[in-house]
Amino acid sequence: MPILESPEVAVVDSPDGFSSGLPDFTTVSYKDAYSRINAIVIEGEQEAHDNYISIGTLIPEQAEELKKLARMELKHMRGFTACGKNLAVEPDMQFAKQFFSSLHGNFQEALKDGKLTTCFLIQAILIEAFAISAYHVYIRVADPFAKKITEGVVQDEYLHLNYGQEWLKANLENCKEELMEANKVNLPLIKSMLDQVAEDASVLHMDKEELMEEFMIAYQDSLTEMGLDNREIARMALAAVV
Amino acid sequence: MFGLIGHSTSFHDARRKAMELGYDHIAEGDLDVWCSAPPQLVEHVEVVSPSGKSIEGAYIDSCFVPEMLGRFKTARRKVLNAMELAQKKGISITALGGFTSIIFENFNLLQHQHIRNTTLEWNRFTTGNTHTAWVICRQLEINAPSIGIDLKKACVAVIGATGDIGSAVCRWLSKRTGVAELLLVARQQQPLVELQKDLGGGRILSLEEALLEADVVVWVASMPRTLEIGSYQLRKPCLMIDGGYPKNLDSKFSGDGVHILKGGIVEFFKDIGWSMMELAEMDRPQRQMFACFAEAMILEFENCQTNFSWGRNNITLEKMDFIGEASVRNGFSTLNLKPQFEAAIA
Repeated sequence: MPILESPEVAVVDSPDGFSSGLPDFTTVSYKDAYSRINAIVIEGEQEAHDNYISIGTLIPEQAEELKKLARMELKHMRGFTACGKNLAVEPDMQFAKQFFSSLHGNFQEALKDGKLTTCFLIQAILIEAFAISAYHVYIRVADPFAKKITEGVVQDEYLHLNYGQEWLKANLENCKEELMEANKVNLPLIKSMLDQVAEDASVLHMDKEELMEEFMIAYQDSLTEMGLDNREIARMALAAVV
Repeated sequence: MFGLIGHSTSFHDARRKAMELGYDHIAEGDLDVWCSAPPQLVEHVEVVSPSGKSIEGAYIDSCFVPEMLGRFKTARRKVLNAMELAQKKGISITALGGFTSIIFENFNLLQHQHIRNTTLEWNRFTTGNTHTAWVICRQLEINAPSIGIDLKKACVAVIGATGDIGSAVCRWLSKRTGVAELLLVARQQQPLVELQKDLGGGRILSLEEALLEADVVVWVASMPRTLEIGSYQLRKPCLMIDGGYPKNLDSKFSGDGVHILKGGIVEFFKDIGWSMMELAEMDRPQRQMFACFAEAMILEFENCQTNFSWGRNNITLEKMDFIGEASVRNGFSTLNLKPQFEAAIA
């Protein structure tokens, strides 16, 4: 068993904190990777806006509240657009649209069928947890301008996660089956989206292992809050592994 | 509510336990999956003291395994995430068990107080080292005479003397126990010299020299894997108290007259309905536990939810007195050598 004095425990990377090892934001490779990551974030916020408006059509009595959330997402989108401009990077929106296409398709289909549980799972649980986790990791390695913007966004994102969570919690008994089924289909998409972006993220000094862990923490927190027990959550999370 | 942050002793054990508990998603995963796995609150437990006071606690598995020690960032995240979970669950005092406090200290995690949207409140956590040090000293005082060692004439070596637990043990042995001679062993010389000055005595020796002379050896440093020592070099009888982590002295030393005792382990006066101590390979997992875990329980029993053991070299004799008295009062006793242990039950 390794112990702390073992040579293999020799410090592999700098122990002086999350703030260490900021990337050089001016290099061609950084900007190239940023053009895709930034586009994903912008597109993600745009889709979130559209999705909340759409969900409002299924529950008209909540439409006003959802519109407020949607407006907040647009504000985030503008913030992240400014982050790209600040680094003189042109976001690759075509790539981002393609990146979200499977999830987007599944959401649209659920919306058409009036499957509110599936819509909430995709937007308010999976996408929001994905966003929050990525933002948490990004904050630690972002340029000062983007760091400030992202910190503001994270606080808002927690509100959204809670919103969908609350609805699912209140309706858990009736929606559990659909929730499990929708999760089985959509959680693997999140995993493959993460895999797809891992290389670019690493250029931004965002570690895939850390991204995945942050996602699992946000996802698990959300499901726990909804009232699912450890075994149910473990069963759901399994879809991210296999 | 008290909390315990622990982890499995190996990746293999961790997967087995996860399977038993129904955590299939990580049980089936490889080490990379475990590196990305969030901490889990796996068990709630109720504990009642001899006086009838009832407290509630929770066991959090950080999903750290010793195989991750080479991955600095991963190990750091595991510890901080488990601490964040404990705080989010509203646990007022949590002990950092196993490698958790070692990682916290050695990787200087004090500078990482902000985890996501949580600011860690250090007064909610304890390393449990004060209780561990007190338990080790009591184990020495009880068990050395039982195998024919007269402490007034005995030479006691403390391996890892300058560490948090080691230095506390040295202070207690020189001021309270009154052993004939204290042998101080540690890797770095300068802190040793300072400790010697502080104690007003003790002899600084190398490990090999100290082992030749010692009647009692207290190990509070982790044992280098490469170290091979035959028992012929030891005095007989010799009491070795294995207070390091992991506890692996019995695989290094054996032979007639050499008595090895797991150090820093306590036993509660009755069974506790938990399953997690099986992971730590306790002989009686329903009652036995690491003294550091027991410290969190004692602080909860005593309504003293604060970071009682924190930082390095802050353990005073007064604090050891306090935790020791509270330990006994709340139904804990030290783990002792088998014959006496069995006699005590009889």
